[in-house]
Amino acid sequence: MRLLVCALFLATAVGGCAGASGPPPEGEPVVVRIWHQKDAAERQFLDDWAAAYNASQDTVVVETLYKETEELRNHYVFAAIGGKGPDLIFGPADNMGTLGITETIRPLDSLVDPDFLAGFSEDGRVTYDGKLYGLADQIGNHLTFVYNPALLPEPPETLDELAALGRTLTRDTDGDGDADQYALVWNYTEPFFFIPFLTSFGGWVMDDAGNPTLDTPETVAAIQYVLDLRDRYGVIPREADYETAKALFRDDYAAATIDGPWSWGGYQDAGVDVQLAPLPLNEQTGLRAQPMAAAKAYSLNPAVPDWKLPAVLGVLQLLTGDAIQAQMARELATIPVRTAVRQSDVMTSSETLTQSLAQIEYSRPMPTAPQMRQIWDAMRGPYQLVMNGQVSAEEGARLMQEQAEKRIADTFLN
Amino acid sequence: MLNAPNDAMGVETATLASAPRRAGLSEAARRRWFLAVLLGPTAVIVLAVVAFPFVYNVAISFSNMNIYTLRDWELIGLDQYGAVFREPAFWSVFFKTIVWTVVCVAFHVGLGVLLAVLLHQSFIKGKSAWRVLLIIPWAVPQYITALTWRGEFNFEFGAVNLLIEGLGGSAVSWLSDPFTAFVAAIITNVWLGFPFMMVIALGGLQSIPRELYEAAEVDGASAWTQFRTITAPLLKPVMIPAITLGTIWTFNNINVVWLVSNGGEPNDQTHILVSYVYEAAFSMYRFGWAAALSMVIFAVLFVFTQVFLNRTQATESVY
Repeated sequence: MRLLVCALFLATAVGGCAGASGPPPEGEPVVVRIWHQKDAAERQFLDDWAAAYNASQDTVVVETLYKETEELRNHYVFAAIGGKGPDLIFGPADNMGTLGITETIRPLDSLVDPDFLAGFSEDGRVTYDGKLYGLADQIGNHLTFVYNPALLPEPPETLDELAALGRTLTRDTDGDGDADQYALVWNYTEPFFFIPFLTSFGGWVMDDAGNPTLDTPETVAAIQYVLDLRDRYGVIPREADYETAKALFRDDYAAATIDGPWSWGGYQDAGVDVQLAPLPLNEQTGLRAQPMAAAKAYSLNPAVPDWKLPAVLGVLQLLTGDAIQAQMARELATIPVRTAVRQSDVMTSSETLTQSLAQIEYSRPMPTAPQMRQIWDAMRGPYQLVMNGQVSAEEGARLMQEQAEKRIADTFLN
Repeated sequence: MLNAPNDAMGVETATLASAPRRAGLSEAARRRWFLAVLLGPTAVIVLAVVAFPFVYNVAISFSNMNIYTLRDWELIGLDQYGAVFREPAFWSVFFKTIVWTVVCVAFHVGLGVLLAVLLHQSFIKGKSAWRVLLIIPWAVPQYITALTWRGEFNFEFGAVNLLIEGLGGSAVSWLSDPFTAFVAAIITNVWLGFPFMMVIALGGLQSIPRELYEAAEVDGASAWTQFRTITAPLLKPVMIPAITLGTIWTFNNINVVWLVSNGGEPNDQTHILVSYVYEAAFSMYRFGWAAALSMVIFAVLFVFTQVFLNRTQATESVY
């Protein structure tokens, strides 16, 4: 009896440590694992696609696992460093810098069929340091002006018109002296959501060499404009993080918001008849408010053994090919990055897609340089100090630059 | 042999003695082997998830591991420890962590013991229901609680300011100012943590003999005197370990600080040491530096635990 118990314990211990490493036995399918950070609708789409694909053949099984964006990057890096992790990782293009530096993704230049590669638009091929690291199934992540036509029949064309909305759409409906409805709510204290106003004044976050370019008159002007929206024109509430802004817009306490593709379906599901419009034009500069846009792409784990590469690359091609991108455009209103699909009548299949594409035309690619992460973190603090009235816009811009340079030095030069 | 005592497994050694022996192994050795095999998998798991990460963390605290050297880091001696203590923000974050811990634990213990003493009184009706209600903050996942409280601290739409204004006060920009954001995180953590101390104190109160209070009442002792001379000393052996644990957990509580303040906002001014480590490691990939700082945190808590338990003589009987 003791011998049996010992054997059971030892088997548990040893069995738990065992892991598959070589090809599967004859007749067994190859398992291709994908980690991703797709939003709810796309997640369901991917799972449905994988189920259908797995059922249609018996040589490859696709398994998917969702992780939140930050978790995905960190977990993947640590897994891949140890030679483990999924075969493919799906995420935004700005991950490429970090994954490229840590050598946790493998260049695809020599692995993917050149004819297949040629079918991608330029924004569908994600590169870093001159190498192709990701093949995208969409371009997106772009903020747009999202409005409720019941409260705001026509979206503002210019920043001046946006500022004027405060007079008509920010209202105290119950007479208690506090506004109960706002013209606009959005996560304005987060740098990513500040970018469109920065670009409208001609500013940008970094130069071509990856050096931050935050202490500029353009940054100061953009910060001041957002401050004026709140303090001078009363367009936006005193505080509004992402969840608060989403709740206010969804529950008709705001006529408009600035949000991305991951949110539109949620607003529609909540019963808001959302319409999209490109962010306004800055009449002072003649420039449109341009959000950042990023491809979302699949990358290859360098730990994938040679015997498995054909299966993994085959799945990669299926997941980024014309058929799936056309289907995604029709069902999810994602913007494809396959030239043939972009030029087909799929692009007119939904109003949301048409409106989304209109914003993409006025967007700037998010830099894939790894310094971008440090710049985001450096912008956030000083920007919030300005919003809290603790420093001026000029001081805020200076602090952003100072902190960005320090963080980049601490991360990349130590 | 026949008069040998029963062994711990309740099997007479006489019975075993009459069975054929495995060559070369005594009974004691066989038993030790069997226990080792039973404990083996647990030991392997503890080694894998506790000991190995700790030792590895010590190793990389002496290394130059960062985003570029993830695969080929090298040992560089005490440089990272020097960098930690030279970091301008370290001392202010350290001070804030001390304030955070002291204030939170003081309120945890104070509220917890107060509520436990109240619940222990005979005149309180519906004790079971009260106990359940008061444990709810502890039962709800921290993540949910922290995010909910963050919403409640919103300047215009949060319940806290609505309550303050309803009582005639002025709304507070809780999350926009570093001081009030810190206070908001403390309030949230106090709400989360007092049930644990209350439960511990309740258990301790059950073990205090009723006769002591009766004798004190006969002698004319007031409620406060009874608390000071009976309740507090007799709760000490129970509360000191709980306070020690609570201090360590609070010192290292990244969840509440990170979620209520949205990652140290505004302007990274609500960080405590552990959230600072997290940001350094996973936002800036300064793994060597973050490992060194985490070892500093470990040393602080280790010294505190030893000194605190020694000074309070927690393990000595009060009778």
